[in-house]
Amino acid sequence: MDNLLWLIPALPLVGAMLLILIGNLLPKTYVAIIGVGSITISAIVVLLTGYSFLSSPPEGGQLTQTLWVWFEVANFKPEITLYLDSLSLVFIFVITFIGALIHIYSAGFMAEDKDYSRFFACMNLFVFSMLILVLADNLLLLYLGWEGVGLCSYLLIGFWHESHANGYAARKAFIITRIGDTAMAIGLFILFYQFGTLSINGILQSAPNLWPVGSAIATATALLLLAGGAGKSAQLPLQTWLPDAMAGPSPVSALIHAATMVTAGVYLIARMHVIFELSPAAQMTVAVIGAATLFIAGFSALTQHDIKRVLAYSTISQIGYMFLALGVGAYSAAIFHFMIHAFFKALLFLAAGAVIEALHHEHSMFRMGGLKDKLPVVFWTFLIGCASLAALPLISSGFYSKDQILWYSWAAEGGDAILWVLALSGAFITAAYTTRMMILTFWGESKTEIGHKPGKLMTIPLVVLAFFALFAGFIELPHNFGHFTLFSDLLHPVLPETRLGESETNEWIFQLVAATVTLGGISLAYYFYYKQPQRLSNLRSSGAFNRIYDFWLSGWGFDKIYDTLIVKPVVYLANINRRDIIDQIYNAITSGTTALYRLLSFTQSGSLRWYVMGLIVGAILILTIQIML
Amino acid sequence: MEAQSTSLNYLPIIFQLLVALGFVVFTMTLTHLIGPKRKTADKLVAFESGIKSIGNARQPFSIKYFLVAILFVLFDVEVIFMYPWAVNFREFGLNGLIEMFIFMGTLLLGFIYIIKKRALDWD
Amino acid sequence: MSASDFYALSPLLLLAGSSVLIMLLIAVRLSHRIIQISSLLLFAISLYSTVFTADILPYRIPPLLIFDGFSSFITALIIFSSLVVNILSYVYFDEKEESPKEYYVLLFLCTLGSCVLAISNHFVSLFLGLEILTVGLYALIAYLRGRNHSIEAGVKYLVLAAFSSAFLLFGMALIYLETGTMNFSEIGERLRTVDNIPVIFITGLGMMLVGVGFKLAIFPFHMWTADIYQGSPAPVTAFIATASKGGMFAVLFRFFASIQGFNFPEIITILSVVAIASMLVGNLLALRQNNVKRILAYSSIAHFGYLFVAFIPRNAISLEAISFYLLSYFITTLTAFGIVTLLSVRETDAEDIGRYKALFWQHPILACVLTASMLSLAGIPLTAGFIGKFYVLAAGLQGGFWLLAIILVLSSVIGLYYYLRIITIMFSKEEHAEIIEKKAHPGFYVASSAALVILTFVILLLGIYPDAVIKLLGGFSMS
Repeated sequence: MDNLLWLIPALPLVGAMLLILIGNLLPKTYVAIIGVGSITISAIVVLLTGYSFLSSPPEGGQLTQTLWVWFEVANFKPEITLYLDSLSLVFIFVITFIGALIHIYSAGFMAEDKDYSRFFACMNLFVFSMLILVLADNLLLLYLGWEGVGLCSYLLIGFWHESHANGYAARKAFIITRIGDTAMAIGLFILFYQFGTLSINGILQSAPNLWPVGSAIATATALLLLAGGAGKSAQLPLQTWLPDAMAGPSPVSALIHAATMVTAGVYLIARMHVIFELSPAAQMTVAVIGAATLFIAGFSALTQHDIKRVLAYSTISQIGYMFLALGVGAYSAAIFHFMIHAFFKALLFLAAGAVIEALHHEHSMFRMGGLKDKLPVVFWTFLIGCASLAALPLISSGFYSKDQILWYSWAAEGGDAILWVLALSGAFITAAYTTRMMILTFWGESKTEIGHKPGKLMTIPLVVLAFFALFAGFIELPHNFGHFTLFSDLLHPVLPETRLGESETNEWIFQLVAATVTLGGISLAYYFYYKQPQRLSNLRSSGAFNRIYDFWLSGWGFDKIYDTLIVKPVVYLANINRRDIIDQIYNAITSGTTALYRLLSFTQSGSLRWYVMGLIVGAILILTIQIML
Repeated sequence: MEAQSTSLNYLPIIFQLLVALGFVVFTMTLTHLIGPKRKTADKLVAFESGIKSIGNARQPFSIKYFLVAILFVLFDVEVIFMYPWAVNFREFGLNGLIEMFIFMGTLLLGFIYIIKKRALDWD
Repeated sequence: MSASDFYALSPLLLLAGSSVLIMLLIAVRLSHRIIQISSLLLFAISLYSTVFTADILPYRIPPLLIFDGFSSFITALIIFSSLVVNILSYVYFDEKEESPKEYYVLLFLCTLGSCVLAISNHFVSLFLGLEILTVGLYALIAYLRGRNHSIEAGVKYLVLAAFSSAFLLFGMALIYLETGTMNFSEIGERLRTVDNIPVIFITGLGMMLVGVGFKLAIFPFHMWTADIYQGSPAPVTAFIATASKGGMFAVLFRFFASIQGFNFPEIITILSVVAIASMLVGNLLALRQNNVKRILAYSSIAHFGYLFVAFIPRNAISLEAISFYLLSYFITTLTAFGIVTLLSVRETDAEDIGRYKALFWQHPILACVLTASMLSLAGIPLTAGFIGKFYVLAAGLQGGFWLLAIILVLSSVIGLYYYLRIITIMFSKEEHAEIIEKKAHPGFYVASSAALVILTFVILLLGIYPDAVIKLLGGFSMS
């Protein structure tokens, strides 16, 4: 089965190409068959590949497949090579499996849309780019996928392009991630300059020999890569695009802005972990950024009205957990949380999409409510997703993945009490806003009449995802009970095991504290939003509370800060420079070349006599050069 | 051959150019100068084998004539190839004979083409 | 002549025989259609024979001819170009209602001449090939004598080609005077015995460069290009741009390689000046041009300038770079002229840029084909042109010719303007209903379009997966 690896990205590409070329001519049924079928078959191929990978592990735990060498000139030899190890296996599994479920859901969700084939073409193209990103053997190919997912994200956020706001959101996402991409490109240049290759394995093997631990160049490179990752994964300070990206259709939010693309930064850092380990400062930065992001985004999530924005901030916050784990060296914990998060967050987005569609595109949670009995399937699956997000102890898979991170943020070698406190308060807030969202949406009195209920195409993916959101956590149990480490054993050959700090810690206590905090968060929200809603309105009448509330609602005012600090000065400068000094240079080039063209075209007189003269002048010119030398 | 390549070495070439130009200029001037000139009206009339010239010489004439003339030249020139061959006929032996037959055959094919295209029909 | 000589020569013999055969077919008054199809078959057979006879390489027929990997690659390329031109010709000439049949005879002869150039190792064969090629071209250029610029172009080419041939002969004579031989390898051996390059010799070389430069249309011998490109029938223009230049470039490369002209600073300087000026002049002249055929003419000047960047260093990858560049340039140019041919109407060729306005909305396939070829000419990644240019650049930089490389990049940027301009015009949304009047059998339109689509795929294939071809080219050595 090893030789089927190329099929995994090829199928979505073929699907995308077919839909781009002839999608408009086909009836919707065929479009859906092509769009969904390509990903589904790809997912099946992943399962087969994964089975053979696990049952008979290849040599060295990795599998490379060189499709072709693009060209080979001098010593520049860009190869199109796919590379599979357990890390990329986890990613391609999540991408294709969840991708397939979301595609099935989309077939129902987008059924009324007039641009049905454009939607599936972009989605297929996205899956292709994402697979290239995680399967790339060298950083050049990785970058191709990286830019490809950025492009597809842009296309899909602005999918309903009739509205200006959507176009704005798409541009914002594109431009802000571009800042990160540029930093990353510079990082890649440094790597190529230093190592003479862009092959990931080559770099990882020679980096420890070439760069001493803590060297400036390692730190610089790691920070540049981190900037790229932070842009894609919506981490501080480049997180502001993700909440606006919710302008896209819900399946897009589920697939791109929750499950897969936004975790590309996590993948990048995990893949290049050797570089980060060479620079303790950079690794510490990763942890700090993660902790700060999860804390800040959590508070913002607590105050949002739009159900999708809550989920967006929650995504930022959860990816913050992954960064935190990466920063303290708990790589497998980060990847584990990535996988669990992909399941429950995709579930939550899809369920939210179902709710929104049922309520005639109503996004505000304050106009929802009472949906518990009207949409039972959505209710139960959403509940499971929320439990996992809130990390409800013991029964939800989110507990197992998040608990690991919480513990490591203290106990691991890079861990720290402050990080732990931040992570813990993040967990508290997460539980609170999750409960708030659940209560506002499904309990209380009904405020909007529901339209049509979601069909089978939409509910089946919800049920499947709910199953995984509930049980996927059991493949990795904590050390103190069960000590079942299937997942980290799988990743062990690729990612180093987490080194614990020197101080003895008792894992039990941490788990108890985490569980208590989660339950505390839940009961707080339960108290304010279900038991005593009037207490909340009393609080809201006080000015100070309102200011903080609005502050959090606007995402800690980051948009405003950037607007004042960057956008306004740039616009101001642009206004001053309306006649553009730099542009004059280009104008000069243009007029210069045009003038040269005019001058030269005089020689093209069409007169034979003149042309003969030209030949003679040429001959004389050659003779002159010879005599002069 | 010279050891050093300088502009001085171009002297012969410049010399050759000068001689070529000089010869033309020299002979033209010389004939112009020493030739006797007696200009009478009769002498300046174009000489056409004693026949009085009538009208303009640049008259259109049938393209057919041109075609036939060109074809004549073509086949006429090809015959020149046969002279050296004929002189060395014995040395070339059988191979030479075959080669000449191939050559003549190709020529013949061209001739067939010309006839078929009615290039030689005057009307 | 031994049997193996005939075997090695079989592609050329086939071409020569084909011209006679087609002449006879014309004599028995067969229709244009039959003549076109049979000449297509004959081209295909001789193309196949170049592949077929590759097993005896390298092979010499002293003193005139040489067969090695490079020469047989160029021969195949030339014959392939003529084959494509032949496919395109039917639709083009059938509309024009003139007697188009002799055209095919001339096409065979010109191809033969170009192939002789590619395999020649001697001044005599060089000149012979050149004249076979050029005399045929005189007639081909002026083939549609009813057209406005046709006769003018023919006469211009005749005068200039004759003039430049004189320079070429003079140069050869000077070299013969100095070395006493006309065989390339022997000239090379003589030169190796002297320390300094003799003056007469280098003058001869310069004079030869006039003749060769005229044929390749490089600065400062480029002036005729646009007029002749514009005046010739579109398929003939395609032939001039590809097959006729390929043979000349090959023989130039062989000559310079065998005399090791790359060791002489004078020669390097002259060639560098020529290359730089060609790149700049070609691209600048095309800049605001509104005639597509003229744009392609000027762009060809620039492209041969680019080729010289790989030519001058003469290092390990030069040969590969030149082979690949010629391959990609030929295919791309044939595609571009193919579109011009297909869009041409009876009175004029599709040369005015306005003819291409909104082409995409009427003939999406043709527009996409032309887009691909323009992108390839501009050297955009994932097309053959990019790999070719990258190769040339690598060859230039490896030889340390930084100035040439920089000029190449800069002038490519200028070039981008007019290539993209054609593309934007094709995609501009303006209703411009002009239907191609289809007189010829529809099958020939399908065949022509199919050929162009296949060429487009080759352009993309060479851009995405060039490695197989590069490996193949790497095996072609020059002996």
